[in-house]
Amino acid sequence: MGSVALISRLQFDAHTRVIDVESEFTMDQVAEACCAPAVGYQTTHPDPSKPLRIRRTSDDDSGAPLPRTTTVEQAGFKHFEMIDVYVD
Amino acid sequence: MALLDRSAWYDIARSTNWTPRYVSEDELFPPEQSDPYGIPIAEWETFDEPYKVSYREYVKVQREKDAGAYSVKAALSRSRYYENADPAWLSLLKMHYGAIALSEYAACQSDARMTRFSKAPSMRNMATFGMMDEMRHGQIQLFFPHQLVTQDRQFDWAHEAHHTKNWATLAGRHALDDVMMTRDAMTTSLMLNFAFETGLTNVQMIGLSADAANMGDFTFANLITSIQSDEARHAQIGTPVIEIMLRNGRKAEAQQAVDIAFWRIWRVFALLTGIPMDYWFPIEKRDRSFKEYMHEFVITQFERQLIDVGLERPWYWEHFLTDIETHHHCQQAGIWSWRETVWWNPNGGLSPENRDWLEEKYPGWNATFGKYWDVIIDNLQNGREEKTQAIGMPAICNMCQIPISNKGGTEWKARVHQHEHDGRRYNFCTPVCKWIFTTDPDRYKDWNTVVDRMYNGEINPPTAENILRFMGSGVVSKGGADAHDYSWVNGYRGQPHVHKHSVG
Repeated sequence: MGSVALISRLQFDAHTRVIDVESEFTMDQVAEACCAPAVGYQTTHPDPSKPLRIRRTSDDDSGAPLPRTTTVEQAGFKHFEMIDVYVD
Repeated sequence: MALLDRSAWYDIARSTNWTPRYVSEDELFPPEQSDPYGIPIAEWETFDEPYKVSYREYVKVQREKDAGAYSVKAALSRSRYYENADPAWLSLLKMHYGAIALSEYAACQSDARMTRFSKAPSMRNMATFGMMDEMRHGQIQLFFPHQLVTQDRQFDWAHEAHHTKNWATLAGRHALDDVMMTRDAMTTSLMLNFAFETGLTNVQMIGLSADAANMGDFTFANLITSIQSDEARHAQIGTPVIEIMLRNGRKAEAQQAVDIAFWRIWRVFALLTGIPMDYWFPIEKRDRSFKEYMHEFVITQFERQLIDVGLERPWYWEHFLTDIETHHHCQQAGIWSWRETVWWNPNGGLSPENRDWLEEKYPGWNATFGKYWDVIIDNLQNGREEKTQAIGMPAICNMCQIPISNKGGTEWKARVHQHEHDGRRYNFCTPVCKWIFTTDPDRYKDWNTVVDRMYNGEINPPTAENILRFMGSGVVSKGGADAHDYSWVNGYRGQPHVHKHSVG
């Protein structure tokens, strides 16, 4: 088990944030970790009726979401990799 | 005995170049300090001061300026102004003095470099005065806040800030080290005198001076006007340097130096000036919005000066115009939320009336930045003050050292612009900060942000308490709190306010 620092872009949040996640975290758990310091503090959930999805950030925001059960290790996230946290 | 008119002796007196016999010209003027552009010394000797002054005249005028500033200070001390001043105004003073006072001493060293290493006798002459200017600015801006330390320990940051690793200090120092402490004499004059002093200090000195007078702080208004009158003179060192470089085929180098410096200083300057102007003072005391000042005193005037000297607008002008609409709003929000990390007490100041004012000045504010404050106001109204204190860390730009943020709410603009170099991933706030890195990666690659230091073991363990201690919060003085103890939220109690939304 190890941890990795990701850079989170939560949809409609004004800040980008550094989030520590464990290698066995699923994408749902990554989303939860990204929301923890943001939602209810300086932003709201982008759409509470929908699950948050995770994808690697791309220049044109066109990437597909990773499966919700994929782990950090399986996704191959590296230190300071930037991810989008959003509703599909 | 009658004195000769200055024009009768000035040119002879400043003609101080000679032909070295015991050392080579490169030993007298090492290229890495004096002129990496290889321009012949005869060209530098054509440098003509746009503003001529003798030492006698200089001393007389400076003495009068100091006498004026100190007498106003004495008068205001008798009225006990600072004991009764608006806490948000005191916050501006703490932030300003902490960020600026020792930067002035640093600028003194920059001018000293020009005084020693410039090949142009006239430039050495001007820089000598510039050096003494900056010494005066350092001294007066250390002395004035010192009297307030017994009233409020946060004023001690005027002396302390530059000796700490506070993130805001690191942001300022990184920019100033880049543009004025680690460059040769010629490039320093382009970056410091032309890009910084000509480009940006007008707003700080004229705009803030007007706000200071409106707030009744005539000491500060007089102080910064006094300083600006010096800046207006020695800022002109850069213009003849650009003209000489352009005549000698070095336009690209001059343009790049100006472009880098203008952006670097802008990123810091917007925090120091834009935030207080638009958020901290009562609306009726505001002279103009930060954006209005920027358009009048920077966009119009600086652009004209660039064209006049034969340079172009920086390539990133559109990014700059966008940044004027966003950067200081993002940082007002972030600094307020992470207020324990700063040495002043930032003012939330988001009363319903202020939101209407912001919407008028920055159409779309309520739908974007306003959403951020909606969450905070809801927390404060419902007894969740602890949720207004940010937890965790934002990503920080590897160039400007400022948290990476952008419009949220109904937009999703926050984005890190990443770059890989020598196997390391760097984070930047904008394409401009990223571009600056790529102009000279070896120059910038080894610097670490506060966030980098959490992961390289320098802050160990990287707990919230250790991060604050690393930055000096709670060491020099306690960190910031809301300047008005959240009283600005009272306007929302019991009367729903319909925020204005611009039709776009």
